[in-house]
Amino acid sequence: MNLELSDEALEYGQTSLRAIEAAGGDRLVQIAEEEPDRREDLVGPVLTVLGADELDPYVDEDEREAAAVLCRSMGYWVVPYPAAGRLCRPRELKAGGLVVVVGAARGCVPSGGPDDHWVAVDLDGRRSWARPRRPVEPVRRTSFVSELDLHPIDSDGAGAVPLGLVLPCWTLLGMLDRAVALTRGYVLERMQFGQPLASFQSVQFQLTEAEVERSGLEELAKFTLWSVGANPSEALADALALRMAAIEAADVVFRVAHQLHGATGFCDETVLSWLSRYSQPLRRLPLGLSATRDQLSRRLGRGGLSGIFALDEVPYPFSEAGG
Amino acid sequence: MNDSSVEQDGFRDAVRTWCRINVPAGWRQAQTGISDDEFVAFQRSWFATLRDAGYAVPHWPGEWGGGMSIAHQIVLFQELAAHDAPRLVLAFVGIHHAAATLLAAGTDEQRQRHLPAILQGEVWCQGFSEPDAGSDLAALSTKARRVADGYAVDGQKVWVSGAMHADWCLLLARTDPDLPKQAGLSYFLMDMKAPGIEVRPIRQATGESHFCEVFLNDVRIPAAHLVGEENAGWRVARATLSAERGMTMLELAERLGNGFRWLLDTCAQPRSDGERAIDSAAVQDRLAALETEITGLRCLCRDLVERIESGRAGPADASIAKLFYSELLQRMTDFGAEVSGLAAHTVLQKPRSSGWESGAWMLDFISSWEWTIPGGTSEIQRTIIGERGLGLPRGS
Repeated sequence: MNLELSDEALEYGQTSLRAIEAAGGDRLVQIAEEEPDRREDLVGPVLTVLGADELDPYVDEDEREAAAVLCRSMGYWVVPYPAAGRLCRPRELKAGGLVVVVGAARGCVPSGGPDDHWVAVDLDGRRSWARPRRPVEPVRRTSFVSELDLHPIDSDGAGAVPLGLVLPCWTLLGMLDRAVALTRGYVLERMQFGQPLASFQSVQFQLTEAEVERSGLEELAKFTLWSVGANPSEALADALALRMAAIEAADVVFRVAHQLHGATGFCDETVLSWLSRYSQPLRRLPLGLSATRDQLSRRLGRGGLSGIFALDEVPYPFSEAGG
Repeated sequence: MNDSSVEQDGFRDAVRTWCRINVPAGWRQAQTGISDDEFVAFQRSWFATLRDAGYAVPHWPGEWGGGMSIAHQIVLFQELAAHDAPRLVLAFVGIHHAAATLLAAGTDEQRQRHLPAILQGEVWCQGFSEPDAGSDLAALSTKARRVADGYAVDGQKVWVSGAMHADWCLLLARTDPDLPKQAGLSYFLMDMKAPGIEVRPIRQATGESHFCEVFLNDVRIPAAHLVGEENAGWRVARATLSAERGMTMLELAERLGNGFRWLLDTCAQPRSDGERAIDSAAVQDRLAALETEITGLRCLCRDLVERIESGRAGPADASIAKLFYSELLQRMTDFGAEVSGLAAHTVLQKPRSSGWESGAWMLDFISSWEWTIPGGTSEIQRTIIGERGLGLPRGS
């Protein structure tokens, strides 16, 4: 088992954070909302510099870790680009990206461009070519989510589903990193009643609650990243469990972040505002909390997750055999 | 709680009949994607319709056009919510906060000047918060200095809801910087057409812009527009803030109850994959929990109104209701966004004049963040509940 990222992955994570910042950082999403057609021009070059297209997260652990930390960096800067989907693309189909969908005709994104050849895969591994419909609403409101028209290919996609669920959780993790960092900075700076908000214990407790959720998700994300490669038979259940934990953590972190930012947090002039908006599709598509829980329950039955220790490795204290 | 007298006098039936005739058919569709001007025109028209029926200001004293009993008001708000009537958005501050201020602390001249005008459609906003005075409202720094015939005001207000449409503003400003924070404030009625006022709408995360910054540059306010004594503004402001409690909470709770029906509708709609959210046990579990909470909230708010009316309200009762409502609103709209699936992200049209739960769940959820912050944040409400309700020691 491996619960630590390699030094190379950690360094790549730092490099990618700096590269995205140099390419525009927070400005990227603002420009892309005003000029959606420039999204590829804005983001493509930095991904090229980072060698993203050469990363294949299906082949080995090192590349999987690099892909994960890149997604995390993209989330941190709210880059409006479906990097996780691109990294997961089925190479054998020469596809531009992969998106996990639920149901035969139910699209979800964030989509690639209209000319990209994206593949949609459902939880049972049925694959389709996916073409995004032209959105009716401006991207400022849809966060680049669009419906997909699906054209069936085959049923050979089950192996890609776990990673297709896990990498977007790393993007979301990057958003939670940022939300906690922004909120920490804000409460240290914002003065009320003659002192920084951060000096109020109730404020500290709320922020620590968010940090506990964020750091718990970080650990589970690292475990699941290892698990999807090492335990293919349990990878889907582990991926769904991570997804559930990620949604729950995001609920807490963004609730706290908004509450502690006060009114500025829901005005569209703060980073938290667009960070929070762009977290919504990741938290709700293809499966929201209830639906993720439902899918996980169905798959686990009475077996449970193996987790980091197999149950038969741990003596059960109250069993007859143990007593 | 005993509604029998109301039921027996046929009031509920009368309101139902009135709603069937007067709630504009198709108003949700008509209020979707419209301009500011169309929104204002609709709000004015709906306010006039309610006023003519005696339903716009039932909570005001009879001499000013209200005088409805609490029991009848409860029925009125229940029926308006159940019939999905549009909300009074534009008139809200005028009929609640401005009226409460004038009735509690205004002069006869101020009441005569403004209460009938509010009934004729005069629109108000509230200029309290400032960039550095949010929860710590008493730290506000907008200054009003004495000049001939009145005051000259300089400063900046923020989060002023509806300022771009307002005729008048309830303004809190510092008249004596040498007095302790709360003691140096005064309360004014400010004409929004006075020279020196600049209003800048702030775009919110939903894309709407109902909050504004208001810049005040040597704005002249006649002395006759001071409410209460000079430097006694904090006491007057507390009367204004208390107007956000009670019946407004009951209305919101009834609206939330009605919104639950929208939520059930959302869950029962077949999605593009042919399945319905409501068939999932996990969804049923969440719905049951939400309905239980909504029922509790409705009871709580009704009890609150009756306690206020009979003088039995505890010092933390209103805070409990606000905290309960605002956090429940967030949970319910969050769940609505969750079960809406893809449509929550691609169908983003919210009818104006609707409640906080319109069925456009993603926008409703994002809007719901506002509720745990203005009018006393959840932290402030918890402090009140702890200190005044439970009698815990004051925090440092």
